[in-house]
Amino acid sequence: MDVGPYSGILKYIGKSIIKIISLLIAVSILSFILVSVSPVDPVRAFIGEVGMANMSAENLAKLEAYFGVNTPPIERYWNWFTDFIQGDMGTSLLYRQPVTSVIHVKFMNSMVLMTTAWIFSGFLGFIFGIVAGLYRDRWIDKVIKGYSLLIASMPTFWLALVLVMIFSVWLQLLPIGLSVPIGVNAAEVSILDSIKHLILPALTLSVIGIANITLHTREKMIDIMGEDYILFAKARGKSRISIIRNHALRNIMLPAITLQFASISEIFGGSVLVEQVFSYPGLGKAAVSAGLGGDAPLLLGIAVISAALVFGGNLIANLLYGIIDPRIRRGSAYE
Amino acid sequence: MKNKRILALCLIVTFLFTLVGCGKADKTDAGTAAKDSVVIAMDAESEPAAGFDPIMGWAAGEHTHDPLIQSTLLITKDDITIGYDLAKEYTISPDGLTWTFKIRSDVKFTDGVPLTAKDVAFTYNNAMKQATETDLSMLKSVEAIDDTTAVFHFNTPYSAFAYTAAVVGIVPEHAYHAATYGKNPIGSGRYILKQWDKGQQVILEANPNYYGEKPKMKKVSIVFMSEDASYAAAQGGQVDVAYTAPSYTVNPIKGYNILAFNTEDIRGLNLPAVPAGNKTPAKRNGETYPAGNNVTSHLAIRQAIACAIDREAIVKNVLNGYGSVAYSDSVNEPWENEAMKVAYDPAKAKTILEADGWRLNAEGIYEKQGLKAEFDLLYISSNSVRTGIAMAVKEMLKPVGIKVNPMGSSWDQIATLCYATPHVFGAGSHSPTGVRSHYYTGKNYASYSNPTVDTYIDEALAATSVEASYPLWKKAQWDGAAGVTPQADSPWVWLVEIKHIYFVRENLNVIDKKIHPHGYGWTIVNNVHQWSWK
Repeated sequence: MDVGPYSGILKYIGKSIIKIISLLIAVSILSFILVSVSPVDPVRAFIGEVGMANMSAENLAKLEAYFGVNTPPIERYWNWFTDFIQGDMGTSLLYRQPVTSVIHVKFMNSMVLMTTAWIFSGFLGFIFGIVAGLYRDRWIDKVIKGYSLLIASMPTFWLALVLVMIFSVWLQLLPIGLSVPIGVNAAEVSILDSIKHLILPALTLSVIGIANITLHTREKMIDIMGEDYILFAKARGKSRISIIRNHALRNIMLPAITLQFASISEIFGGSVLVEQVFSYPGLGKAAVSAGLGGDAPLLLGIAVISAALVFGGNLIANLLYGIIDPRIRRGSAYE
Repeated sequence: MKNKRILALCLIVTFLFTLVGCGKADKTDAGTAAKDSVVIAMDAESEPAAGFDPIMGWAAGEHTHDPLIQSTLLITKDDITIGYDLAKEYTISPDGLTWTFKIRSDVKFTDGVPLTAKDVAFTYNNAMKQATETDLSMLKSVEAIDDTTAVFHFNTPYSAFAYTAAVVGIVPEHAYHAATYGKNPIGSGRYILKQWDKGQQVILEANPNYYGEKPKMKKVSIVFMSEDASYAAAQGGQVDVAYTAPSYTVNPIKGYNILAFNTEDIRGLNLPAVPAGNKTPAKRNGETYPAGNNVTSHLAIRQAIACAIDREAIVKNVLNGYGSVAYSDSVNEPWENEAMKVAYDPAKAKTILEADGWRLNAEGIYEKQGLKAEFDLLYISSNSVRTGIAMAVKEMLKPVGIKVNPMGSSWDQIATLCYATPHVFGAGSHSPTGVRSHYYTGKNYASYSNPTVDTYIDEALAATSVEASYPLWKKAQWDGAAGVTPQADSPWVWLVEIKHIYFVRENLNVIDKKIHPHGYGWTIVNNVHQWSWK
């Protein structure tokens, strides 16, 4: 089959689909093994120390059956898997609701947060990187570089706490957490309220992401600025802006895009911590409670969804290469 | 030229920051403007994952509390005796197997439909089928004889059921759908669930048609937060009541008082009463754990430990004063036996040991027939209070010649090890069944067994009224000749009660006299309808 210059891409997409299916199966098996060998006994976690002592053997047995403690792991996995391929992700043991509806609610919250952070960090990181690279070793470069190194070595939750202390406790400008105003009926919540609640968590997440992209873009920018063709352009009297636009941008875009899409996984990981600090009701928090509470169906659901998300990010990055740099599209990069 | 650009950049950054600044948070968020609403920060664990559905375990579990949205047949009063809510009276048949509840006829659900005995039967018959924290295994079935009479049939006599009936909220049969009820509960309680932002907050509004005392607080907002966030929220003035821990009280918050509430949140040590090499009774799947300890199986050791620990010092040093001494698993509850008390007397501890033939060795540790008075002590290492208690116990037993090796671990590990090794246990509940879980043969972490104690516990459960059961629960602890007191069998050594502490706005009048159960949670709002602003 030959469909012109795009046959490479199509083949690549086809291969990717096979890859993601096998990846998802592997992820679900691995997560399931982890849940099964985890020392956390879901029944014990569910009823607690005092509850455990007080409970009758009958009720305990009922709960053990509910959490599937005595069902062989392979049988449990097989039940989950056969349902899953028919589109049924099962029922969350803790929430007592279909996993899809639990994930749907949490996913929407997380997506807003992560997308905002992702766009901000990509955009700002890129700009900072270019500026720093362009004015190498000048004071602005030193400021940006220093800032990036500082940020890169900062734990996410610590930064989150510092921001809460500054903006919510001292200045009392922004809410302490949650995604909705406290004690306000849903009908009275404005879009501005939602934005206000998004600022701090999104800022924390993006600030962390910026450093990585800035530093890489800066390096690449410096490399390019040292190329002969830049020197030649300068010799021809071209302005800085047009040099960047015509010669540098495409070259620095490639690594930036790779990083940006690869950073989806980092933002996802960071969101787990940020959601804890800001009491933000996202997927990260749900994953933590599912893991600690032995809620296998929910944990598997979240694992599969997040694996698909990260894989999707990398796939898009690869596809974008071809669009930005025709050499890759024509060449054998997709083979 | 270049400098101008840099200047411009600086200006843009400043501008952006100003913009952020303009989004000044609205102070009315905190709900302090209105005088009949309150905002409470609870720990994130308190949010009921499965919703506000009593059939799925809402209000049950180890942190039992008033379901607020639903009514219950009975209630636990401030002193943990039993009072009435929906029930006007109840009678227990002489064999203890049939309970007859007469219920009020003037109660309506918030959708206007009257609550009848049919709803009671529906609730319990359904809750029985579910695997939840509500233990209803003693029930056989419930039937509604007429609109105001519900008859409960039991598998086994169980007078402590009154405490279960104080927790299980009654749901409307006509408006119950398992899939949605937890999110949109219809009840007949003091409050209506107005809104639930999952993972974040719950907004409750007073039920205007409530049959009982009219709530003064018309709106109660509860936010679910981590300990850090709760503290920050109080600092930022965004909540009126914030749960906290002793370590945070070092830095008081302006405008807030620190209130400490009495609890049934007890810490104590189980001292395995049989020698090593035993096994726990097999679980359903045949699993057993090693049980017994060669050192603590000596009665003298257990009695010595009970009087060698300075409980006051633990309260002062480990709990920063936010606690009190405890000698039983039921501090101040109607079934607590005074005989459980023991004086702090290290000299007596040594006398007891020496009378039993223990002799100090060169290292200053007691020995008897080659056996050293030395044992491991488990504690949950992620819990600072339990860590502190374990260390204090080690230090206090050293001078009386007993060597303790504290061993931090996780609850999951400890749950399998604690039958053979003492552990810094948490205990305490709004039900006398705690006595059974700590001392009844085959049920307890100390592998303790005494037929006399078992008999009293059986009799207490077979009592034909809750009030009649209290003296029997007391006798199970000490009947004048035998029991589990420190002077008698001493299978558990109880140490301290831990107060639950909250930051509370200075001008908020919080009424909460009811003893809190083990663990923070919804108990704080049991009486929220009586709270008021000064």
